[in-house]
This record gives sequence, C-alpha cells and structure tokens, in this order.
Amino acid sequence: MKNILNFLIETGKLKGKERRGWVMHGIKNSETTAEHIFYLAIMAWTIGKTKKLNIERVLKLALVHDLCEVYAPDLTPYDPLLPKDKKKAAEVLKKWPKFTNSLRIKKDKRKNELENKAMDKLVSSLPTNIKSEIKAVWLDFSKGISREARFVRQADKAVNFLQGIEYWKKHGKIQHKLWNRWIKEIIDDPALIDLIKAIEKKFY
Amino acid sequence: MEEEKKYYLTKDGLARIKKEYEDLRQIKLSKTKGDVPRVLQSEDLNAEYLAFQEDMGFLDSKITELEYILKNTEIIKNPHKDKQDIVGLGATVFVDVAGQQDEFTIIGTLEANPALGKISNESPVGRALLGHKIGEEVVVSSPVKTIYKIKKVKYHIG
Repeated sequence: MKNILNFLIETGKLKGKERRGWVMHGIKNSETTAEHIFYLAIMAWTIGKTKKLNIERVLKLALVHDLCEVYAPDLTPYDPLLPKDKKKAAEVLKKWPKFTNSLRIKKDKRKNELENKAMDKLVSSLPTNIKSEIKAVWLDFSKGISREARFVRQADKAVNFLQGIEYWKKHGKIQHKLWNRWIKEIIDDPALIDLIKAIEKKFY
Repeated sequence: MEEEKKYYLTKDGLARIKKEYEDLRQIKLSKTKGDVPRVLQSEDLNAEYLAFQEDMGFLDSKITELEYILKNTEIIKNPHKDKQDIVGLGATVFVDVAGQQDEFTIIGTLEANPALGKISNESPVGRALLGHKIGEEVVVSSPVKTIYKIKKVKYHIG
C-alpha cells in the first residue's frame, strides 16, 4: 500500500502543474495538467459513447495519457523555437511553428524517449499487475494501437482546441486563427469534426 | 465496428498491418497453450506486447479489427504522370498559408501522423486539398477562412 500511496502523491502533483502552453500565452491561473486530464476524460466519454467504443478503456487512456508529465517536460508544438524572453516568445507564437521533416522526426523521437522514461520512473514501484496495466494503456495511447487510443489521441487535440477557444473569448491572447487552421489539419474522426463545428458555432 | 469504410494504405503500411495480424494470431495461439510467444523476444514494445499484457477480449477485438481493415484496404498508388500535378492520396503538397510555407503528405487515416507532417485524407484540410492542382487556391471553410495556395505537388510512394 505504501508504494501505491507514493504513486498517488506523485500523480497528485499534476493538480498544481499549470500547462506550459497557456502560461506562454500569458493566461493567468491557467488550466493544470490534472484539469486537462479531467476535461479530456469527460469529453472522450461523452463523445466516445456516440461511437460505440469501449468506454472503460477510453477513460483509462484519458487518465493515463499525460501522467508522464509528473517527470517529463510539458512540451508544446513550438519547442524548441521558444526563447525564454516573454516578449520574444509572443512574437514566435504569432506564427505556426514550421520544422523540416528530419527535425519533426527528431523532435517526436526525443519526446517519446522523455515520456517513456518518465512513465517508467512513475510506475516503477507499483505492484506488478497495476504497473503492467498502466504501461500497457500508455503504450496503446502513445502508439495509437486500439480504436479507443486513436480516438483519445484526437480528442486530446480537440479538448485543447476547446480550451484555447474558451481562453480566446475570455482573455484574447490566443491566436485563434492559427488554432482553427491547426485543428482542421490534425483531426479526422467524424464525431470530433462535428464537435469542432459545434465549438465554432457557439464561440464565433 | 463503424459502418463500411475503405482504408487507404501505402505498401509499407499494408505490410505492417499484415505482420501485426499474423503476430497477434500467433500470440493468441501461444496464449491458448499457455506459452510465452516468440514475437515478444524483440525489445521493440509494440502491439504484440500490448496484446500479451491484455486479456483475450482485447486480443480478439484487435484481430477482428485488423481482419476488417485487411478486407477493406486499397493500396495507394502514384497517379499517371499526366496527373501528378493534382493532389491525390500519397502526394506531398507544398503550400502557402497566410504567407507561411508548409508541406505535408496526404495519407490514409491509419498512417496519418500530423506531428510528422502526414495528414489524413479524412481531415477537413486533407479532404479539401484532394483533387486540386498546382496554382489553385483552396479555401477551408469555417468561421475563420484559411486559404491554402498549392505551390508544388510531389509523389514518392515506394
């Protein structure tokens, strides 16, 4: 039980970890990683239900998908372009980040390495059966093996879009035109495309 | 399973799916006999590892899904030379979007990976670009109008 308690205390740190992307955009008291996980779980459950997915698996995928951020950096699509200087960073955020294919591959590989290492560290002391389950769900999410994982990977982007648009309406500061472009390049799930249309209808 | 759907795959993509299918069937056989499958001797954590960790229900549903995909696959081929200025499946499209240059390859949903510049033919942008020629402007309609100017189209499917 001690090992499970330690795991809980570590994952609990995500409750206070503000998401770096919002902080970079100058959003005060922005969403934490734990809040993002909550929002995604609710979205994936409600939209996933319309797709006849295995909801237990969908929820586990949503819960596990960012656990690695207890130890891994919260990377954004703009890394490694962002300077530390906030004014300079604001300039970078005005354009969509562009990378060569070889840099895209390098970034993706590095991200996977950091996240896998962090996940291994996080679950290392858990009892074998729980550790195996979390690692299997994580593997499914990170590689998009099951239908549920492919759906939750896209829902993760959709919920980020929704949060971004909510912040744009409340604070400005978000380059909503870029976000609109981005989401239409990366989402292809019909139910999530419908959700994006509903978000646009409500907020524009 | 969703209603009838066609899966567009590259040759490499199809080979990967076939291998995954055969490996999963082997795991199912091994699990039934109570053995540790041979495919797990690889250090590469993959679908086979996942299936072994999971219960038989997961394994069966993944095998069923792959059977469905294999029955409904169409291989992506390069178009005839006369039509290689038109955006089709497998094309790498070079575009100008609001003054920014970008490029991505349009591919079937199972191989799409936007982080690596591979976007799905079923995404709103992928769908909008298909069938358009070099020099054309494609408007992706939404409350925010985004114009993609097609600068170059390239095919390089193996």
